[in-house]
Amino acid sequence: MKKVLVLLLLVVVGYSLYVPLSQIEFGADRMGSIENPTTVGAYYLSKTPSELSVANVITAIVVNYRGFDTLGEVSVLFLAATGIGSILYRRRKEGEHSETISKPSSQLLQAGAKLIYPAILVLGAYVFIHGHLTPGGGFQGGAIIATGFLLMMMSYKDFHMNHTVLTWVESLAGITFVGVGIGGLIVGTTFLENFMPVGTLNDLFSGGIIPIIYVAVGFKVAAELAGVLDTLLSIKEN
Amino acid sequence: MMEILEYIGLAFVLIGGIFLFLGALGIYRMPDVYNRLQAGTKASTMGAMSVIMGVGLIEPEWFFKSLIIVIFIAIANPLSSHALARGAYRASLTPFMKKKMDAYDKEFHQKKED
Repeated sequence: MKKVLVLLLLVVVGYSLYVPLSQIEFGADRMGSIENPTTVGAYYLSKTPSELSVANVITAIVVNYRGFDTLGEVSVLFLAATGIGSILYRRRKEGEHSETISKPSSQLLQAGAKLIYPAILVLGAYVFIHGHLTPGGGFQGGAIIATGFLLMMMSYKDFHMNHTVLTWVESLAGITFVGVGIGGLIVGTTFLENFMPVGTLNDLFSGGIIPIIYVAVGFKVAAELAGVLDTLLSIKEN
Repeated sequence: MMEILEYIGLAFVLIGGIFLFLGALGIYRMPDVYNRLQAGTKASTMGAMSVIMGVGLIEPEWFFKSLIIVIFIAIANPLSSHALARGAYRASLTPFMKKKMDAYDKEFHQKKED
């Protein structure tokens, strides 16, 4: 019975995939030209540099055209971090170490981590500050920064994140994101409207609200991931 | 002058490519974790450093950037393989050959007793 159901499901899914795809001629150019865009993708490609002066079209789509969607994604990440924290977090007693890293890491790793750690932080900051110019952005930069914290957590048993600071950074970043959105509502007409001057293409200060939002997202993601990692490392093994 | 620099850079890239190939061969041919690690790390450290240095010489505008990357690789690559080897040893993966001398074993067990 179960197998028959699976087969039926496959047939239905396959058919509903086949019907719309069969109407497209194989190898057809559906994008159109930059001057005469026929699809929404070509529209973004042709309009982004002139409308927003943002070199990275993906960032323009993620933060500007679909900024509300990104706000939802950030909330999902926040909910996930909160869930992990509420299940696993427990207050550390004075001088207590995480149980999972019971053996000390080598001196070589400790010295090297100290050297590399600031470089990783700088790289992460670079990635999210230049999110509208080069590949990468808030999510990627935040993840890189969290990697730096993870390196320190694994090298030093005493290295713990301050959860009060993390909460503050996270909240302020979220407030910045929503505040910029409400600013669009006040100055312009819609939530998350790009109400600031867009500047010239390929400048660091260009793109209106896009860099501000991506810096906020970078801080938020970094704080959330670092908090999750710290909470996971503090689990007590029974 | 520029041409000489370019030829030197190309020679660097070639040497780096040979080292990277040898590293891949070592990872494929070596018998256990530790041998593979040393083959891979030595070769990829030297290979990547040499290739990036060569690129920096071919395009002199990138020289400073490539120098920074080379320094970063020189720090990070041996460090990561050291951590990996240590982790493998702690996971009690035995070496391929029968060990005649194992200084790390003594240190490791002393630390355990403390």
